[in-house]
Amino acid sequence: MNAGLRAVSRPDWSGRSSRALRRSRPQRLGERPKTTVDWADLIGRVAAHGDRDAFKFLFEHFAPRVKGFLVKTGMQPDAAEEIAQSTLVAVWRKAGQFDPSSAGAAAWIFTIARNLRIDAARRAARQSRADQPTEPDDGLDAVESPETTMARRDDVTRVTAALSRLSEEQSTVIRLSFIEERPHAEIASALGIPLGTVKSRIRLAMSKLRDLLDEPR
Amino acid sequence: MTINHHPPEDLLADFATGSLDEADHLVVAVHAAQCPRCSRFIQAMEHLAGAALEEARPIALSGTFKAIMARIDEGPAEPSAAAPVPAGLPDEDLPDILRRCHFGKRRRVAPGVKLQPIILPGAGQSRAFLLWSAPGTKMLQHSHTGTELTCVLKGSFAHEGGHYGPGDFDFGDGEVDHQPLVGGGEPCLALVAMSGDLKLHGWLGRLITPFVRL
Repeated sequence: MNAGLRAVSRPDWSGRSSRALRRSRPQRLGERPKTTVDWADLIGRVAAHGDRDAFKFLFEHFAPRVKGFLVKTGMQPDAAEEIAQSTLVAVWRKAGQFDPSSAGAAAWIFTIARNLRIDAARRAARQSRADQPTEPDDGLDAVESPETTMARRDDVTRVTAALSRLSEEQSTVIRLSFIEERPHAEIASALGIPLGTVKSRIRLAMSKLRDLLDEPR
Repeated sequence: MTINHHPPEDLLADFATGSLDEADHLVVAVHAAQCPRCSRFIQAMEHLAGAALEEARPIALSGTFKAIMARIDEGPAEPSAAAPVPAGLPDEDLPDILRRCHFGKRRRVAPGVKLQPIILPGAGQSRAFLLWSAPGTKMLQHSHTGTELTCVLKGSFAHEGGHYGPGDFDFGDGEVDHQPLVGGGEPCLALVAMSGDLKLHGWLGRLITPFVRL
């Protein structure tokens, strides 16, 4: 699979490619980068000329991961399938909104899946209360102002720097607790620490992240 | 604008993963939209979530690539009857996120205090509302059976936790027992998400609790 992925020829959408390439370097975040595929570049190709081959790579890599991620966080497989499909449809449609200098492709795709999950939950709630007015757009997809975009790019540097200085142990505990939403007892056994320690370790990791983000560059 | 009070980290994390109640989500969103510090924290959580997504055990889809492409080629579903015009928007300079909300009827809940509910489509535990308080209003000493998330939009209030001005976020739960005092000068407008009930203290509180419906 990797050989096939690497065979994708390098970017031809001008200017942004070098930046996009830099982004593909292994970051400490994903403990072990599995491929050298430049997802940001592939998204750029979808945006620039509706490149279906590029999109196929994105689909084959991310759709099963979105589904796997959602199931792991407690969603029924059918519902996870639907959101995984819709997420990739949205990746195609919103590819032009993706900023390669900003959060990585995986983080961007996560936010799409998250917003779809929120929408689905609200739709379900609304259906059981049919007398409610239709849902106002909550701004999850709001278009950014240029100032916001600039500020966000600035933020990305700070955020990546802070995360790279968070210890492995701390990012793991944050991930287990908040992202995978595992109960404390499970976290205790996964990390081999007493149940009583879990809470304080989570709190410590969160305030450490806050401190790292607050540090002046 | 200097923001001095922020949501607790776990609230920001739950916001980033989309697991907050709708009303709570709204108040955190309004704060984060004007607070670069919290917005960075949320981004950091999204990065971590992206890394977790990248490493999630893949589960094969039943839908094929061809089927997805067919769905894409169909074009977007009909735009849902155009975004409905928000109803009951109060005549205030509100953040964009709130301007897209539907509002219920504004009503007086206590001397100098008016409330306007925000109508949310989901069925969460919390309800959201705007709260106007006249300058100098002394709220009744109260605690909560649930949680209370507040983001100041205009004016200020103070309680044991400090002074809260525009953009500041206040989080109260069952452990908090406070008596906010609205700052003088201008009315205080705050966005509040509340779950559970208020418990008012003192003889007056006990007397009027049945009538104060927040």
